[in-house]
Amino acid sequence: MAPQFFIEIVYFIIISIVIGFIIVFYILTQRRGRESSSLSSRESGEKRGMEKGEKRWLIFLFIIVIIGNILFLSPILPSAHYVFWLEEKPKITITIEVRNYEFVFPEKPLTIPAGVPVEFIVVSQDLVYGFGVFRKDGSMVFQMQVIPKPYVNRIVWIFDEPGYYDVRSTEYSGPRHPYLYFPDVIYVR
Amino acid sequence: MNEEERKILSIRFVVVSLIFLALAGIEGILMRFRIMNTLLEFFDEKHFYSMMTAHPFIGVYGWAYMTVMGAFYFLIPYILKKDIYSRKAAYLSFWLMLIGLIVVWGTTFLTHYAPLYTLYWPIPVAYEIIGWDPYSILSFGLGVVLILGGVLIFFGNMFATIFLPMRQMDGGTTSSWYVLKELLVTAFNLDKIRAKISNVPQYTSKAFNYPVFVVAVFRGCVDTTLNAFVIGGVGVLLVVFALGNLFPYLSIPYNVVDPLIYKNVFWWGLDLIADGNVLIFTAGTWYLLVPLILNRTLYGENIVRTVILADLVVSLFVWNHHMLADTPQPLFLQLQGQIFTWGELVTMGLTMFAVLATLWFARPVKYSMPLKFILTSIIGYAVGGLAGIIQANYASNRFFHNTQWVIGIHGHIQLLVGLSSTLFAAIYALFPLLTGKSLNERLGNIHLILWTVGGLVMGLSMGLAGTQGMLRRTLYPMGLGVFETYMTVAVLGALMMALAFTVFLINILRTVKLTDLLKIIF
Repeated sequence: MAPQFFIEIVYFIIISIVIGFIIVFYILTQRRGRESSSLSSRESGEKRGMEKGEKRWLIFLFIIVIIGNILFLSPILPSAHYVFWLEEKPKITITIEVRNYEFVFPEKPLTIPAGVPVEFIVVSQDLVYGFGVFRKDGSMVFQMQVIPKPYVNRIVWIFDEPGYYDVRSTEYSGPRHPYLYFPDVIYVR
Repeated sequence: MNEEERKILSIRFVVVSLIFLALAGIEGILMRFRIMNTLLEFFDEKHFYSMMTAHPFIGVYGWAYMTVMGAFYFLIPYILKKDIYSRKAAYLSFWLMLIGLIVVWGTTFLTHYAPLYTLYWPIPVAYEIIGWDPYSILSFGLGVVLILGGVLIFFGNMFATIFLPMRQMDGGTTSSWYVLKELLVTAFNLDKIRAKISNVPQYTSKAFNYPVFVVAVFRGCVDTTLNAFVIGGVGVLLVVFALGNLFPYLSIPYNVVDPLIYKNVFWWGLDLIADGNVLIFTAGTWYLLVPLILNRTLYGENIVRTVILADLVVSLFVWNHHMLADTPQPLFLQLQGQIFTWGELVTMGLTMFAVLATLWFARPVKYSMPLKFILTSIIGYAVGGLAGIIQANYASNRFFHNTQWVIGIHGHIQLLVGLSSTLFAAIYALFPLLTGKSLNERLGNIHLILWTVGGLVMGLSMGLAGTQGMLRRTLYPMGLGVFETYMTVAVLGALMMALAFTVFLINILRTVKLTDLLKIIF
């Protein structure tokens, strides 16, 4: 399963809980509750510290922040793996030049062995473009922005699944942008 | 300016903002149909992208900003019990915004100039490659300058109203340096820091001299003012380059602007709206309306000022989450952007907690329309904000960046269900104060349900298409394939929102006569 689909499932579970919570909250708060004594005589100014509930909530949020960052920087996701954890150097380097809405590939299709780190270097001579690689079902493998010269845009990737892949410009570069689509331009063997 | 005049000014802002919301909505629906490869005979790609360029300007500056400005011109004097500092500046900000927006919209409509709101360098000035008309660049740049000029005048007027004594009262300091000093000291708690360094015991910071809402306004205005300088600066840049094309002796090669540094500055400025201003103004509006309607103190009122300050500080350092796909960007900056973005989970989480706790301790709550809209706004920010935090990680950005996930689940749900619901809450709350009449609750409920469900349906279906690989800012002339079902559902969501807005307009026009409204505007 592509990682974005797993993230999507987790996300939908969380937001279902959030929306459900708000609906239940809406119903419950229309009923009579106990008056909180801590709110009846409130001191103004900053002399009072945080309420106990607020402190607990703050700690909970900080824990989520720490766990979230650890997960997203860990090698679980391939993109983090290749940037932060991969020690192997790229075996193949492919340079693609972009100029006046033309992507110039060194060969068509680009034939790449599976399981090997490949470095893509994309250089734009004029505008901002994007470089995105897509599976045949349309889902995205990875992408990067292509910032024009003097910048050189690089990304390292390891393809696990053999087959054909499409390339599409993933950034708007003017009204001709939708036509920057190159089906079957990568072949992983 | 007396209270009646301030009311009229506020109504003007709100009515015009609703017209812009309608315009942005019509554009949105037309673009939704065009994405589905219909209406081909009316829209070529240039036309489509010019509409996509105007849409966020009209939606953000026309709808959101003008509603906020209208509300603040009434609420700040009302709460502080003092007049607006400058009457002339108040009217000038209205007209500059209005004219600027008409110029931007008119330019894109008439010339099909389409650099998109991102304005990535050198796209807005690349005449030779893309074929823009230099006059369209000049006109668009001027429009942007007018809009942001109006914004700057508004915030200058707000700062002066909050920090200066009344004009009529002689003897007080009235210089702009004084306002700037007071603003920086109060917004960033510098007086408290100074007191700590000097070991002053029991010092209460100046921010505690102001109600929480006012603190949110001036801290949010810091973000928005910085934003206005950056985006207004881009407008000036466009004017300069357009003049260079029209008058060759003024010509400057466009590679004098570094595209990566430009993008950093641009996103730093633009993100101050999204992650600073929107969240802070929203928090301020919740902090004002919820206790006011429930007639009780805000839960954790002593802490929320600090939360707003944290929000302001965080907002200054989050722009790098827009640069995660830019591989020439230094990695440490990208990681800094990721970590600071998670900080927004904390600040927004605390804001929501304060509001929900206030409601909880006020049981039994009789939910009026503003309170209902605030609850849906919390849903919008939770759903949209969580999506934003997911995509703003270095690793996940590799497959979320520039997909429909970003603009659907994050962008549109945050703006339409989150921000717009707060703006509707403010309008429902202010309506009786401004007109002496209340809007019909049954129609209000229909508006609320259709708007919220429509916004969620549209945004979530766009997001699902995004995880399937559908890009934003892209047409699929060869066919939508697997994305078609999601886009069809998104159209239905958009139509529900259009229906909700129509119900809202009917509600207004049942309550206040159209002729009376027109008299106020003109």
